Amino acid sequence: MLADLLFWICALATVGGALASALLPNLVHAALCLGLALSGVAGLYLFLEAYYLACVQVIVYVGGILILILFATLFSSDILGRFQRSPPWQRVGGLCVAAIAGALAVRLGQVVYQHAATLEHQRPAQLREAIAAPGGIGDLLTGPWLIPFLLASLLLTAALLAAVALVQRYRHRTPKDVDGS
Amino acid sequence: MGPDHLGSYLAIAAALFTTGVLAVCTRRNAIGVLIGIELMLNAAALQFVAYGRFRAPLGDSIGQAAAVFVIVVAAAEAAVALALLFAVYRTLRDIDLERTRELAA
Repeated sequence: MLADLLFWICALATVGGALASALLPNLVHAALCLGLALSGVAGLYLFLEAYYLACVQVIVYVGGILILILFATLFSSDILGRFQRSPPWQRVGGLCVAAIAGALAVRLGQVVYQHAATLEHQRPAQLREAIAAPGGIGDLLTGPWLIPFLLASLLLTAALLAAVALVQRYRHRTPKDVDGS
Repeated sequence: MGPDHLGSYLAIAAALFTTGVLAVCTRRNAIGVLIGIELMLNAAALQFVAYGRFRAPLGDSIGQAAAVFVIVVAAAEAAVALALLFAVYRTLRDIDLERTRELAA
């Protein structure tokens, strides 16, 4: 009973936070509501017995990406969202596209839900502990998925270098600069 | 519906994805678009974990490992996107997407 209540609180935080972060005009409020949605997803991971992922979600998303986004709101000249309103055609078009995407997502979910192999929902406690332990992920990442794992580290390095290169301030060098004076 | 059913997680993920698409399509500010992309990636990761929990071969954590990759891609994307925003801000003094029509101003 209590678990059900907690689950619905997490679900409400996820969906409500996502809606608020998509619709609120104030950028800081939108970013904070994104934090609420991300925390809700972390709670859902707990219900899915993915404890490692719940920790990663909080550390990487809430602690990392959300803070970056909050910093980046300072770049905007209109944080309060008073002047940069989207034109009406963009809002209507966005609603239509979102409706189509939502219908597609639901339909796809239905098809996969019906055709995926059905397993027992209630597993023995021992097996559930084995699944919940992060060791399984480690075995997978250092065994059959070693190449994708290494590629992911390469991707992170490339992203880091790209970010540094993008914010590098280029200037034309004059002979005076070369002399070092 | 409830914490023991795959369908409830799928419904939440579909709602997350739809709001993400809505944010990407309707926002005029680049930060709003970035928020929408993060929402969509989260929906994908949630689906991976939910299917891995309920429908994967017994004792396998494939779904969770796939979600780790989704989070890695999201982190890389956020870093590059924010660097791009900074570059745009330095040129235009703003990150209004309506004004970023030229590569160099």
